[in-house]
Amino acid sequence: MQRSSIALACLILLAGCPRQALFVVLPSEEGAVGAITVDDGKTVTTLDQPYAAAEARAGASQPVEESRANIDITFRRAFAAQPILPQHFRLYFILGSDELTPQSAAAYHSVFDDIKRRPVYQVEVVGHTDTLGDARTNQTLSLARAAALRDRLVRNGIEADAISVAGRGKLDLIVPTADGVSEPRNRCVVITVR
Amino acid sequence: MGRACWFAAALLIVTVGISRAEEAAIAQIKKVTGQATILRSGERRPASVGDNLFVKDVIETGSEGTIGITFIDNTVFSTGPDSQIALDAFEFDSTNFRGSMLADMRRGTLAVVSGDVTRSSPGAMKVRTPTAVLGVRGTTFAVQVYGDH
Repeated sequence: MQRSSIALACLILLAGCPRQALFVVLPSEEGAVGAITVDDGKTVTTLDQPYAAAEARAGASQPVEESRANIDITFRRAFAAQPILPQHFRLYFILGSDELTPQSAAAYHSVFDDIKRRPVYQVEVVGHTDTLGDARTNQTLSLARAAALRDRLVRNGIEADAISVAGRGKLDLIVPTADGVSEPRNRCVVITVR
Repeated sequence: MGRACWFAAALLIVTVGISRAEEAAIAQIKKVTGQATILRSGERRPASVGDNLFVKDVIETGSEGTIGITFIDNTVFSTGPDSQIALDAFEFDSTNFRGSMLADMRRGTLAVVSGDVTRSSPGAMKVRTPTAVLGVRGTTFAVQVYGDH
């Protein structure tokens, strides 16, 4: 009883101290909610719900109810400063070739458009293969796929300096398969635009 | 002759090693409004869209300034006005997603969308504030640190 009174008194005292920091988890665009832990050296507060918040007063952190209106006002300028988020694309290739499938040849334009809408950009192109054939041939093919895509982007006016290419051969499969398996989903490049 | 060659080769390796380490950009500035500054090796320079950022850089905004940056692991930071954030440590290997990040949030507001570095291990990404250290397990969050610490 006495102990809880003291604890209550402490909380009231703490509430009178100025707020030093505010921590808020936000819903992400993909819908998945993440989590942060707030460690003030004495206690660890876990925030794992959208709009869950903690505050620091007198060096101590504790959960706090923070209205969405307050969160929006507090972080309005920081939210507005957010760059266009990075995007990932996959384009698929014809068996044994560095030529895009007809479907991916059409999808190429969405990659190009995504790059063009950014004031500055960096593009990573990583080539992959399926497991037909030997490792060396597939390493060469995966790099050729990435390079073919880079060359096409450059021809269309994207800065070559902003594009990096790599090939992973058949060592880093998009869809895991046994060796010697024809798998269209593994004949691809993964493109990251940021 | 042989010895000189070995020496030259060794020196080249050392020099290339150093310049690579120094040149590795960890992030790029994507968006700027108002007064925005990069503090690098004790010098202040205006922050502009397209500028690369390096480990130990500090980004700083004035009373009307904001900065948005994207790291090479696809983590995104955006700061409101009157903010100061030091990029204390950053390592990332895009082939296996291993790495770590430590940002020191000294004042202001910061919104974060975490990137691939959080896939490395639960403690891989940390944000230090004057009163607490945040461990980031993923996705989107925001931090405000009140001034005068």
